[in-house]
Amino acid sequence: MDFSLSNEQRHWQMTARKFADEEIRPISLARDAIAEPRETFDWDIIKKGSKLGFRTMAVPKEWGGQGTDFVTQALVMTELARGDSAISKTFSQNWKWSHLISATCTEEQKGRFLRPFVEDDTFLLGKGISEPSAGSDNRLPPADDPKAGLKLRAERHGDEWILNGEKCFIANAPVGKLFFIDARTNPNVPLREGTTMFLVPRDTPGFRIGKVFNKNGWRFYQNGEMIFENARVPHANVVGQVNASDVKSKLAGDRSGGDIFGDLELAANALGVCLEACDQAMRHARAAKQGGKILFEQQIIQLKLNKMHMLTEALRSFVMRVAWEHDQKLNSNCAGLAMNFSSDVIHEVTELNLDIHGAFGGIVNKAVEKLVRDALIWTHLAADNVQRMKAARRLGR
Amino acid sequence: MYSLELSPEQIEIRDTIRDFVAREIKPFAQQSARLEALDRRLPLQLLDQVSQMGLRALALSEASGGVGVDNLTCCIVTEEFATGDPDIAAVLSHTATLAHVLFDQAMSAEQRSRFLPSFLGEDRHHLAFAELEASSDPALGMNYHRPETSEAALKTIAAREGDVWIVNGTKTCVPNAPIADLFAVEVQTPGTHGPSTLLVPAKSAGLTVNEPDQTTRWYHGACGDVSFDNVRVPAENLLGPQGGSPLRRILADLATPQLAALNLGIGRAAYEAALDYAQLRVQGGRRIIEHQAIGVKLADVAIKLEVARAIIWQAAWASDHPEAHASRSVSALPLGAIAQTFAAETIYGCTKQAVECFGAMAVMRDMPLQKHVHDALICLHSGTGTSDAKLRIAEALAGYRRPTAMLAAE
Repeated sequence: MDFSLSNEQRHWQMTARKFADEEIRPISLARDAIAEPRETFDWDIIKKGSKLGFRTMAVPKEWGGQGTDFVTQALVMTELARGDSAISKTFSQNWKWSHLISATCTEEQKGRFLRPFVEDDTFLLGKGISEPSAGSDNRLPPADDPKAGLKLRAERHGDEWILNGEKCFIANAPVGKLFFIDARTNPNVPLREGTTMFLVPRDTPGFRIGKVFNKNGWRFYQNGEMIFENARVPHANVVGQVNASDVKSKLAGDRSGGDIFGDLELAANALGVCLEACDQAMRHARAAKQGGKILFEQQIIQLKLNKMHMLTEALRSFVMRVAWEHDQKLNSNCAGLAMNFSSDVIHEVTELNLDIHGAFGGIVNKAVEKLVRDALIWTHLAADNVQRMKAARRLGR
Repeated sequence: MYSLELSPEQIEIRDTIRDFVAREIKPFAQQSARLEALDRRLPLQLLDQVSQMGLRALALSEASGGVGVDNLTCCIVTEEFATGDPDIAAVLSHTATLAHVLFDQAMSAEQRSRFLPSFLGEDRHHLAFAELEASSDPALGMNYHRPETSEAALKTIAAREGDVWIVNGTKTCVPNAPIADLFAVEVQTPGTHGPSTLLVPAKSAGLTVNEPDQTTRWYHGACGDVSFDNVRVPAENLLGPQGGSPLRRILADLATPQLAALNLGIGRAAYEAALDYAQLRVQGGRRIIEHQAIGVKLADVAIKLEVARAIIWQAAWASDHPEAHASRSVSALPLGAIAQTFAAETIYGCTKQAVECFGAMAVMRDMPLQKHVHDALICLHSGTGTSDAKLRIAEALAGYRRPTAMLAAE
């Protein structure tokens, strides 16, 4: 057992911490407060972060990225999330799909897509899976029901595929330049056997972004609808094989990123939020007074601070273990569990922070209250029934 | 005698309001603009309609011209309104409670004759109790199981000048302030130790109300800070004795769990929305309620809401029947505080469980679930919070008797 970080890992962590303190935290609350959801985004912070490598750090060095390991990625997500969880997620969303490109795209596709991604500070990635009537069914498809799951249709015409349908709740949709789109190429068989993944650039004819969703948490992080009306995508943009969109597991094994990165991503981001909540709570407990004494002197406050730190440190251990296991290419079932756990922890820790601050007279601390709203996002992403059952089914296999 | 049977009158009131909420309030409350939890406008027209049904005077005695129902009925009414719109429920329960306390108990006959007619006659006549100040420290906290040191004097001062009191100072977080016509204001008068209360009409010269920004102030209904700049109040508007403000004690004795009932209505709204949706939404080849995972979640919420209602109604009934304490039929513990604490902690969890049925839709500001969660969070952090409430309950368990002043903040 050796928990020490390498110099390089430590350097990334410190760079991210400085960036969070000096650039992210100062804009976080103002961005969160903007009422119009498409106005919360700030390209300036993306460009600044990109120049430090936070957009491309999961791209292998031979393709111009920084080729960081999972431990480093976890450290950076956590540090950025201390400043603002949604801004951290906007950066790491690109890592998720750069893992996918590295693992599954042909050299020709990497040349066309990975190279421009690396070179352009405003090039963001996204992936379209969910549809209005297909959420859980995409993640846990019933094996015997071809009707279940996404419906976006792709039909082949010569060298092109024609896509029709819509996606909803798609992260980075309003700001991304390239998307991975899951579409049905055979509607008569179950989802996993009849779905193909396509690379769809933003300027694809017949493809546009619809509504931008007005989320109550993670307000910086853009999320929108995608509309495909006879959108034309070249056959050369098929990722992997036709009718085999599930490349994450089929082609690349558990080491490719995909789900495994996504699971780690939410857990590491939650850790950053929890660390920030612990800092806020401790500062408040040592500064605010009640009955003429600082709050920290009260047993009930000490017990709440204990629980916050205990859960946060347990989450840190779990996150770093999962990241290390990924780097060791160990086939671990822990990533999903860590993600589920991170949801329980982020809820409890952010709520305890709010509790310690109190809202006497209804007066709330915006920085404290924001963390509770951001935490609610974990419910459906990280710890709904489907995500918990998926983790259990991996164990039961 | 122990009975869970509601009277025909209680059932009629409940059903009338449930119907009104379904027909008039829910269609309004579920408009997307209304779902913006941090930017709500008080629905004055709906409040007028509700006033015309007599609900401002729900708790006011029949002798005074009100409906004169008991605390249990008030809780039933508040729950029903809160399923539709917690702001309407809060304004009404506040005015109705204060009407009973002020007109039936605290005012002199002479004061009643001056203030009651306009309360009864005007649909928009609301009441407010201005108690807190920015420097108030009403939590028990450090003073748990210890006699409090000295209670800080109020900074809102009333100085006598001939036949009037001259009031100066600022009250904060006053429920109903922006819509109130009559304020009961706690002030410090020179030469007395305890606070006094003055009845101050809202239109008095020098009285101004500032409405807070909802993003930094959590409340249901209406709320505001009230400033007094040389406000002249007739000497005969002193409520109760000088230095012996009666309202906190009367409100504490009333011990009605109406806030818990409001909270319960919020939980029910979230639960009913989730139950409806779970019977419509199909994933995995069947309606999601047919999946075990969703079924047990909804069952869990239903269990918690039923238990919450049981303790709220028990506390309300006990507050209506002080003789039940004497005969040792009900617990001697502070049931109102127990009901409110249980409801606050449990129902927030219920709204989060309801969220899970809706997936990503639950976090969208134009959808109802995030508002139910926010509404429950407001209840969870109302007053001095549930930990502080537990300290007060713990003192009661140990039979610790606290001198009067601290009782008040309960």
